[in-house]
Amino acid sequence: MKKFIRIPLAMALAGAMLCSCGEKQQVVHTKTEKTEITFSWWGNDYRNEYTMSAIEKFEELHPDIHVKCSYSEWTGFEERNRIRMLSGTEEDVMQINIGWLDEYSSDGNGYFDLEMLKDHIDLSGFDDNMLDYGRKNGVLNALPIAMNAETVYINKSIYDKYGLDVPDTWDDLYKAAEKMRADGVYPLAGSKKSMWLYSIAYAEQTCQKSIMDYNGHIRFNVNELMVMIDFYVGLVVGNVVPKVEDFNKLNIDNGVYAGTVGWISDAMNYYGKAIDNGSEITVAPYTAWMPEKAGSGWFAKPATLYAISRNTEHPQEAAMLMDFLLNSSDMADYQGLDKGVPISTHARNYLDSKGMLKGLQYDAAVQMENNYIISRMDPQLENEEMIESFIEASNLVIYDKNTVAEAALRLFKIYNNMYYG
Amino acid sequence: MSKRTIGKPSIKTIRRLKFYMIIGYVLILIAAIMSVSFLYMKKTDEVIINKVTEMSSSLSTQMKLNLEGYLSRIETIGALAFGDETTYSYDATDPSNDEYEAISTEKRITDKLSSLCIMDNLVDYGIIYSNNRSVGKISNSTTTLFGENMFKELSSMITRHRTNDGWAAGCKGDYRRIYYVKRVHSNAILIISFYVKELESVFDSSEINGNMTVRLVDDQNNIIYSFERDEIGTEIDTAITERTKDKNSAVMMDDKYLISIEKNGKWHIVTTIDTASLLHEKNNMHIYIYLTAAIAALLSALIAVRFSFRITAPVTDVVMHLDTKASIDQLTGVFNKLTFEDAVNQHFENRKDSEKYAFILLDLDNFKGVNDNLGHAYGDRVLAKTGSILRFVFSDDTDISGRLGGDEFGALMRLDDESSFDVLNQKCADLCDAFSTHYTGDDGKYKISASIGAAIFPDHGNNFADIYSSADKALYYSKGKGKDTYTIYDGGHNKEDKQ
Repeated sequence: MKKFIRIPLAMALAGAMLCSCGEKQQVVHTKTEKTEITFSWWGNDYRNEYTMSAIEKFEELHPDIHVKCSYSEWTGFEERNRIRMLSGTEEDVMQINIGWLDEYSSDGNGYFDLEMLKDHIDLSGFDDNMLDYGRKNGVLNALPIAMNAETVYINKSIYDKYGLDVPDTWDDLYKAAEKMRADGVYPLAGSKKSMWLYSIAYAEQTCQKSIMDYNGHIRFNVNELMVMIDFYVGLVVGNVVPKVEDFNKLNIDNGVYAGTVGWISDAMNYYGKAIDNGSEITVAPYTAWMPEKAGSGWFAKPATLYAISRNTEHPQEAAMLMDFLLNSSDMADYQGLDKGVPISTHARNYLDSKGMLKGLQYDAAVQMENNYIISRMDPQLENEEMIESFIEASNLVIYDKNTVAEAALRLFKIYNNMYYG
Repeated sequence: MSKRTIGKPSIKTIRRLKFYMIIGYVLILIAAIMSVSFLYMKKTDEVIINKVTEMSSSLSTQMKLNLEGYLSRIETIGALAFGDETTYSYDATDPSNDEYEAISTEKRITDKLSSLCIMDNLVDYGIIYSNNRSVGKISNSTTTLFGENMFKELSSMITRHRTNDGWAAGCKGDYRRIYYVKRVHSNAILIISFYVKELESVFDSSEINGNMTVRLVDDQNNIIYSFERDEIGTEIDTAITERTKDKNSAVMMDDKYLISIEKNGKWHIVTTIDTASLLHEKNNMHIYIYLTAAIAALLSALIAVRFSFRITAPVTDVVMHLDTKASIDQLTGVFNKLTFEDAVNQHFENRKDSEKYAFILLDLDNFKGVNDNLGHAYGDRVLAKTGSILRFVFSDDTDISGRLGGDEFGALMRLDDESSFDVLNQKCADLCDAFSTHYTGDDGKYKISASIGAAIFPDHGNNFADIYSSADKALYYSKGKGKDTYTIYDGGHNKEDKQ
């Protein structure tokens, strides 16, 4: 009986072994597929580096997501973004300027409706006023990162050397220039956009009229544009400021510029090295004819916003990244006050708990928040073409190619074609 | 002592041969399996290592091509600046420049340069003039890094004189950006830079082993880029440079590293994999193969033993049967003389110094009369009965007994201690009693009894002949005393006797 069992069993085993040897097994190596999302922003070196570090942290927290980054300095980024938006190749998550909401999403459909993603984005850290900055046609298109405003920063160490107080009026700047001129020192300096907005502040205060109406149309006439041009030319000719084309950050570090006008978010980028070198840097009041009018003609705006592409194939992952960028303590650690004081109360409270709400940038933010005269900025005021046209018109006067009146008329015609209602 | 273990040299020989045969078979089998396994693994190792090095070489070449492609694209973007005459001919240091025209020209050049790199992640893309004026995009970090000496520093980076350009990394110890510079004219240098992190996409490959580290190394052996971020800016391990010394394109493997190196300009792409981790699975496989071979050998050995028993069992049985027949006296069931003598000698040879044995010699009384009067058949029955009495009285396991010829029998028993003499006396008495119980006869006419003589080994003889002689003398004494009694030899004097 045993033989009847043993022999078939042995044959079966031998057969199984032979079959297993002869069988061609398919080798399958399954790769872990990651969801790739794209993210774009603009910024300086410092911002690029900490943002990339933050993205690495995000990928570490979400190993199934890969974030492909696209970044550049501001110059050229607007055009790059325009090409991306028009060609349908925009990134899944985008840092955007507030003006782009008008340009690409006037009906609210240009970006993803973030309220559809509120399971993944915590909106509880934003009050309704802040959310309104990101709404178009009632649709929540974007979330603001921090509020920003042009601010005057003064190297008090230099001003003290000349026996000057921190300037708070336009006249103070001219008086400072008189003392500093001989040494080739400028009381103030600024980039193209900063000097453009500085000139608007002067003109609005002088003319008692806002440059834009509520519909985003320019209200300034030729005479009022003349005030603007004359002001900027006067600053340049009077050696109060260098030409915007000559603005060079190295001159902040080496003391050629005794002050600057720049965004809250630029404070440490401009003055980090000077502070390290022992200079005392302070936030000056918004320049005005009279100190009590400080803030008149000055503007505040969200220091960029985050939006999600309406075409994204990965809205959930994009929303997770956006939530990380706005609300997480990790991102708050990396970003600090680089873009100003975060609007998200989660990020803000974290920074507060870590004692990070201090320093030059924070002082500038507090000044903005405590000023009740400062206006909400019309997105059109950041239009590059508008700014370039103003600088070109001003240069025509500086180099005696036009009179102020001729340059203002030329500028008026350009703006008339572009923006007048 | 068992009869089966005494006096059967043929069985022992067969068992010994069987044992050697199994051991030999098992050893040959193990050697064969191990040899095949070793050769298989050796060949497999060669194939695996060859394939791994080939793949590593291919991967390294692919990375080189990726890097060349990426750097070439940057160089092309740089070359495109020469597509606009204003861009390459404008000299910001020319004192005859009209300041207003210069501003306009510089703006046009900036716009032009921006349009050329608008979709790329570049940190810098601009032109630096010898008076440190710049057009295009020059980052604050680069401005801060080089300061007032920017033009001079950038000029020193031009190493390729045919194309008037060059690549640099780790400038002033800053490894965050890689720079490409190209001379525009004697007072202008084009500068392009990008973050080292951008090389992740260049060196990213789904084929890369998790333990592989890819490094881009400059001509001073400083690491420009590495998968291990902490390594960037440090000097590459000398254990690697010693292996890659004077090599531009090679793959090498030893016990520590699998290294491939590819030269790209003055930089090298060096990929390394820790050999132990690379071959970890292969080494594990070795263990599995050896284990499988050992199990196969063990199973084969067990099967061999099983078959050996199956094959040799009938032969052993036959031999054992024949052997038994040859060593046992068929009539009495005790050993024959030769076997008995061998067994006794074997005990004497193998004994310990303190051991003593009693040699008992038994001779039937009146046996001739039985044969003559009752016939040989009856005589044979008496002899058979004598054998069974001996087997009854003496233990089959510890004592031995045998027929020495005719009606003479012998037995050997071990004396464990002094009290054993009492046992010996008892055994001799039991023998005498056994005969008187069976053969008293009705009238005592054919009473059969036995005379017994015993001697002690080694006191009365230390070999068979001597001990036999001593016991025979004691037997003779018993016969002389009237038979049916036993005598224990006492060195030739009057011996102790009972009955």
